[in-house]
Amino acid sequence: MRWIVKRIITLLTTFYIAITLTFFLIRLMPGNPIDVMINQYMQQGMSMEQARIMVSSLYQIDFSKPVWEQYIEYLQLIIRGNLGVSYIYTGVPVARIISYALPWTVFLLSISITLSFVLGIILGMFAAYRRNTKADHTITLFSTITNAIPNYVLALIFLFFFACVWKIFPMRGTRDPRIPPGFTLEFISNVFHHATLPILSFLITTVGSWILQMRGATISVLGEDYIKVAEARGLKGKRIMFSYVGRNAIIPLFTRLAIAIGYMFSGSVLIENIFTYTGIGYYLTYSVTARDYPLMQGCFLITTLAIILSNFIADLLYGFLDPRVRIER
Amino acid sequence: MVQVKEILTKALKKLVYDPLKIILKSRRGTFGLIIVLFFTLMATVGPLIVRYDPSTVNLSEALQPPSLKHPLGTDWFGRDILAMLIIGSQDVLFVSFVTALITTSVATFIGILSGYMGGKVDSALVAVTDIVLTIPGFPLLIVIASVLRTSNPILLAAILSITAWAPLSRAIRSQTLSLREREFVEMAKCLGMPSIHIIFSEILPNIMPYIIINGIFAFTGAIYAQVGLFMLGLAPYKSQNWGVMLNLAVNYAGAVFSIRQASLLAPAICIILLQVGLVFLSGSLEEVFNPRLRSG
Amino acid sequence: MWKDRVIGGEIISEYLMEARKLTKEFEVSVGMFKSRAKIRAVDEVSFGIKEGEQIALVGESGCGKSTLGRLLLGLIKPSSGQILYKGRNIWRLSRKEFEEFRRNAQIIPQNPYDALNPTKKLSAALIPQILRHKIAKGRSEARKMALDLLEMVGLSPPEDFIDRYPSRLSGGQMQRVVIARAISVKPQFIVADEAVSMLDASLRVEILDMMHKIGEELKTTFLLITHDLGVARYFAKNGKIAIMYLGDIVEIGETEEIIRNPLHPYTKALLAAIPVPDPKIARERKSIPLKSIDVPSLLKPISGCKFHTRCPYAIEDCEKIKPELRLVGNRWVACHLT
Repeated sequence: MRWIVKRIITLLTTFYIAITLTFFLIRLMPGNPIDVMINQYMQQGMSMEQARIMVSSLYQIDFSKPVWEQYIEYLQLIIRGNLGVSYIYTGVPVARIISYALPWTVFLLSISITLSFVLGIILGMFAAYRRNTKADHTITLFSTITNAIPNYVLALIFLFFFACVWKIFPMRGTRDPRIPPGFTLEFISNVFHHATLPILSFLITTVGSWILQMRGATISVLGEDYIKVAEARGLKGKRIMFSYVGRNAIIPLFTRLAIAIGYMFSGSVLIENIFTYTGIGYYLTYSVTARDYPLMQGCFLITTLAIILSNFIADLLYGFLDPRVRIER
Repeated sequence: MVQVKEILTKALKKLVYDPLKIILKSRRGTFGLIIVLFFTLMATVGPLIVRYDPSTVNLSEALQPPSLKHPLGTDWFGRDILAMLIIGSQDVLFVSFVTALITTSVATFIGILSGYMGGKVDSALVAVTDIVLTIPGFPLLIVIASVLRTSNPILLAAILSITAWAPLSRAIRSQTLSLREREFVEMAKCLGMPSIHIIFSEILPNIMPYIIINGIFAFTGAIYAQVGLFMLGLAPYKSQNWGVMLNLAVNYAGAVFSIRQASLLAPAICIILLQVGLVFLSGSLEEVFNPRLRSG
Repeated sequence: MWKDRVIGGEIISEYLMEARKLTKEFEVSVGMFKSRAKIRAVDEVSFGIKEGEQIALVGESGCGKSTLGRLLLGLIKPSSGQILYKGRNIWRLSRKEFEEFRRNAQIIPQNPYDALNPTKKLSAALIPQILRHKIAKGRSEARKMALDLLEMVGLSPPEDFIDRYPSRLSGGQMQRVVIARAISVKPQFIVADEAVSMLDASLRVEILDMMHKIGEELKTTFLLITHDLGVARYFAKNGKIAIMYLGDIVEIGETEEIIRNPLHPYTKALLAAIPVPDPKIARERKSIPLKSIDVPSLLKPISGCKFHTRCPYAIEDCEKIKPELRLVGNRWVACHLT
């Protein structure tokens, strides 16, 4: 139990540090956004006082107070889930924009990660069992190459050929606004039609790493004594393949899932931009270019929270799957 | 004099000829080496022989197809795409190289310190590393780059390194931990050798291959992040960069895409080639350092 | 257990190295919730080694003999208890005095393939410490000494070896270099941790003879840690054997006496496992019927004598009271039944 408490404390500390980091980045760095925004309002003819009140109302923090009081106010707001008001979408709370955007990102990433992981494990095991055959060499070469390609470069190429030249898939957006949302076949197929290119970009650039890792893990498990014993006991090939080799090879991969999720959140910023897919990543860059700092702060925090949570879950999973005794140092 | 020459030839054999022989034995290694050398030449010698100034706009020559004059054609502003590609490579390679250098140095320093010292220093450094690992790297990069808006390549490299060191540092720490348990390290300690000796003579030489290979991965990671940042238009436009070319290609998408493909495909293919080349080279270097992996 | 001789307020030890109630605990984490548990690898061990003595520490793997060896060398800190070097607690020494102790107490680790840095030539395994402890005046003298050391451990001509990488040596040659490395700083006390267990049987005798010879020539005190009573007997033929079981020393005495007449039931069980060339002794010795062949886990502390779970002669007291080492004749034994 002590271990879980420790994990939760780490989780909270990390999130707290991310929150603080954002505050100081936005508030205290030279040329920081708050000063820039106040200047912008002043150039529009407001007085210093009025401009400060405007900006304060966006963040819902009083910027005339000393910095540490601002910091306390900021923390209180975050705890209540209040992320301020958007600057570009006048008057719209940041939390609401995020609640629209987040499901799309989660949709995109969860499908991509699941497909990539499952496909990677199957192909990796296949390659390991056929090692040093032509099939293995082809799979390994494919994995090494696709793994090296930046996802956004592939996305651009897909966009160019599949959307611009051949017009098989839509160029932008998450869905056709003319189709009413609902549990209709038309709507769901439209959503998947829009998500296909982003998912493919993710899938192809990440599956290689799973294939290579699974191939390596399987080969090393195949060399273990208990597999030889199982074979000597006359167990059927399939049974060994799944219940002995598969299980033991997959366990270490689970821990890397968390890191992979982190990377995919980073990648989704780029992919969502290329396909104008209005998820968190899209709004993050949009807010940066539009200098909508409350929105930027909200998007960054929610991304961090998502990664911290997925790390936590992966940690729990690993403790659950690998309950060995370890010497502490 | 004779002795110096002898030492030099020996060093040359050990550091250049022997690794080269192993790299050139495999097709992938040869391919990777050629690609990396090609782009290095492109970035260093290339700018000296470019005939066009990639920053001057000449609308009368806009969107020309490939010709002898413009081997890859021109873009919307009449700029020579090949010239842009060559000038752009300079920036991409330099910033990525500095980033890789910073990333690996910081990771090595923190990783070894943490693993070797143990105790409270270790716990503190592990906590910091874990936190940096969880903070989303690229989004943080966007936030910082947007606030700083720098065009200084060294500062840009420093920003790109901010979160990149953490995974490598963690890996180097665990390598150091396991090396610290090795008997030759225990013996050195028992013989009363100081920590400096143990770190630099016993531990570091044994993780050097690992550091070099991961330095290459840091390089590929830096290319990814840097070009991505420029593609999103979040780093200042001052310099020529493949990412800027991609950004223009995206912004002028649709209408012009079908007419001029080179402005998108040229930088895209360069990025892919360079990344794949670097990965192949690192795989081949792994064989140099680890004789057991060598085939045949 | 040892009578302290207190003269003018100072404890005088008749031993070069002495352990007093020496204890080392390790923390381990168990199961999915990583609950903590403590394992006592060394449990209040007290014994002494006289200068020039050759002593073998024998026990099954996991009994804490390696931990005890490392504690004596000051490589790990004890949880409680003291290690005395010439009567002085090594963890209370001044920096300078500790450095002197550090030079005087060396280890020969068990895996020769792992005891030399694979990225460095042999010269780098021998010269730095000679310079560090100012045993030689300069580089060239240190190199000369390194060559002499290689010659001494039977690697000749040494010029052929000194610039080689370890990967170009055989296991036996590596172990010779490791021994040269340990004696390079002229230590008084050497712990050889399973120093021959990784070697071929044919090489073992050679290496053991060499260590024995070095011990006599350089007047070095040797503690050989081994799981093999045969090796212990061969090495410490004029010395002592100490038997260790689950963190306790259960019997110490002159080698030949222990082999001829083991007193502790655990020693008897160990002896029964090795073949004896002398039929007279073989006939006298009977194998003892152990209750269990499994060594119990240390995760749960065992009350009383730790051997009672396996000992065929255990009485009620054995489960409750921990037996102390007592002098029986010429020998120390920790058993209620002797």
